[in-house]
Amino acid sequence: MLTNFFYLLREYGIPITLHEVMDFHEGLDKGLVNDLDELYVYARLSMVKHVEHMDMFHRAFVYYFYGVDLPPVGENDPELFKTEQFQKWLQKAVRSGEVPKNAYWSMSADELMKKFWDTIKQQLKEHHGGNKWVGTGGTSPFGHSGFAERGIRVFGESGNRSAIKVIGDRNYVTYSADHTLSGENLRQALESMKHLKKSGPETELDLGETIRKTAQNGGEIDLIFRRELKDKIKVVLLIDNGGYSMTPYVDITRLLFSKLHNRFKEFTTYYFHNTIYRSVYTDSARFKPYPVDELLKKPRNTRVLIVGDASMAPEELAYGYGSIYINDNEVQPSITWLKKIRDRFPYTVWLNPIHESEWDLGVWTLDRIREIFHMEELTLRGIKQAVEFLNTRQEVL
Amino acid sequence: MEFTGSDKYYLNPELRLIVNMAVKMEKPLLLTGEPGTGKTQLAFEISRTLGMPIEVLRAKSTIKGEEVCYTQDTVLRLNDARFGAGKTQRNVEEFYDYVIWGPIGRAFRSEERVVLLLDEIDKTESDVQDNLLDVLEETEFTIREVNEIIKAKIKPVIVITSNAKRELSDPFLRRCFCHHIPFPKPEEMEEIIKLHFPDVPQGLMDAALKIFYELRERGYEKPPATSELLNWIEALMISGETPQNPNDVPYLGTLLKRTADILSYRKVDKISGKRW
Repeated sequence: MLTNFFYLLREYGIPITLHEVMDFHEGLDKGLVNDLDELYVYARLSMVKHVEHMDMFHRAFVYYFYGVDLPPVGENDPELFKTEQFQKWLQKAVRSGEVPKNAYWSMSADELMKKFWDTIKQQLKEHHGGNKWVGTGGTSPFGHSGFAERGIRVFGESGNRSAIKVIGDRNYVTYSADHTLSGENLRQALESMKHLKKSGPETELDLGETIRKTAQNGGEIDLIFRRELKDKIKVVLLIDNGGYSMTPYVDITRLLFSKLHNRFKEFTTYYFHNTIYRSVYTDSARFKPYPVDELLKKPRNTRVLIVGDASMAPEELAYGYGSIYINDNEVQPSITWLKKIRDRFPYTVWLNPIHESEWDLGVWTLDRIREIFHMEELTLRGIKQAVEFLNTRQEVL
Repeated sequence: MEFTGSDKYYLNPELRLIVNMAVKMEKPLLLTGEPGTGKTQLAFEISRTLGMPIEVLRAKSTIKGEEVCYTQDTVLRLNDARFGAGKTQRNVEEFYDYVIWGPIGRAFRSEERVVLLLDEIDKTESDVQDNLLDVLEETEFTIREVNEIIKAKIKPVIVITSNAKRELSDPFLRRCFCHHIPFPKPEEMEEIIKLHFPDVPQGLMDAALKIFYELRERGYEKPPATSELLNWIEALMISGETPQNPNDVPYLGTLLKRTADILSYRKVDKISGKRW
């Protein structure tokens, strides 16, 4: 019963195991689920453990019970146009004449977007209590099984809540793991960054030693305290804050890392434009240069995080005198400096706000930089993976 | 026994379902979400409406795990061993005279069903969470010193909150029901405000909500949350003002708390003030 639904959840990327399925069934046995709303809420409660997966669950549920394939973006998100669901819909809509053939020119993006979502909403409405649910011709997951005996309401409204109302809202789309960093999911990113740090209480009573000392003292109490190792991690953050492509990410990245400031022994931020030459800058306006040679003197175990889109003209990266600044007579090509940084600091990760799926589109400089550094995308998943990468390296060394 | 919320707490229907499901399934309910979404409040509300006493553990990063069940006051015992217990009737030979029960210990030993709130569990270290997990699942713990098992007489209703400061381990999550409370939508926020201030003029309500959500959108380091909004509305009601312009907010200090945020707010103000 519902087995296909569980597999569908896995297909959508929710890592459910037998444990969750059992929990779910136990709840059914206890009569927790009496209508579609309760099924939705209970299935999610018993099977989804991470907020990143909430929206995936939502989409899987809607697909399974309503037959509507929701795109993985929010309602006003222009990323919609890149999604498979939108492309398919557009093709169909053009064929049926619903949308004029030259839609891209005659309709504004907003109009198209609205039309798409209106169609989706209409579909959801039509399927309210649709055939999947009611069960015609064996397609229903509840057809002949014992589900009906548990008193699932198949027809009509349940109380004063309609299923579509609870199910219709996409409350969790911004938390999705694919989503680029934003204010909302900052906290999650912080969580995973914290794994970088080793910590422990500073002092504690050493009972064994206290008793030993006290005994030695002839019963006169002598309290012994122990000091624990403190965190020694140093972090250097290098941010590309030049160019329009990076603008949206600069504040959010700085904010992200500023929150971590006091958790590390030392935390410094430097800025660069597009790529790194002899100097990075200590201020975001890039007036105060800081020589990379100085940077390279920092301890080898410093964690270096570079944030940038790695996209620029090839000569900026690979040629001597390549800098786009006229008074920057840099002899060595940037790529040499980048390699120096990598060789000095084994714990280096490049975080790229460009989605991983677009890395292979042939930006030459991005490919070269990827050869030098371990690169992850600047999303929750990417940051988690970056932290994992840094942690596993730690074990190697 | 059905949890329905009370006249002091706005409960959305989804959350009501979730609480009742977790109570029936006797599973710990893990609530995440940003501050001001009423996570902690919910546990107190359950305790109030279901008439159960509440035991609260406010987690700190220094918690080791065992002391939430019990601690042995070793220093006191050493002291009594050295100087005598005096008139306190404590017996140095008797281990239990020196036990201080933590919130979990008290909850498990209680004769009636209680609500056990583990607040901000994410502040603890992950191995501490793993230790807690066994305790919560089995609803029992062992007192190591005397090798005795304390088993819960009645399974408490367990509510755990997390501000997502640190990721919780997978096994921990597996044993909980997890729910992320999204930030209230404007309609819900209106309900919440009405619970606190039943006679807010509608004009003030609409204007305040509009500005509040706009400010949240601007991505401050510490975005204003429910409690800030309530304070702000109270200030507005006392002064009788109705805010008009999101760039000229009276009593800004009630909404934005950080210097950096206030400075960046003023900058926005300046730019829009003399656009050329």
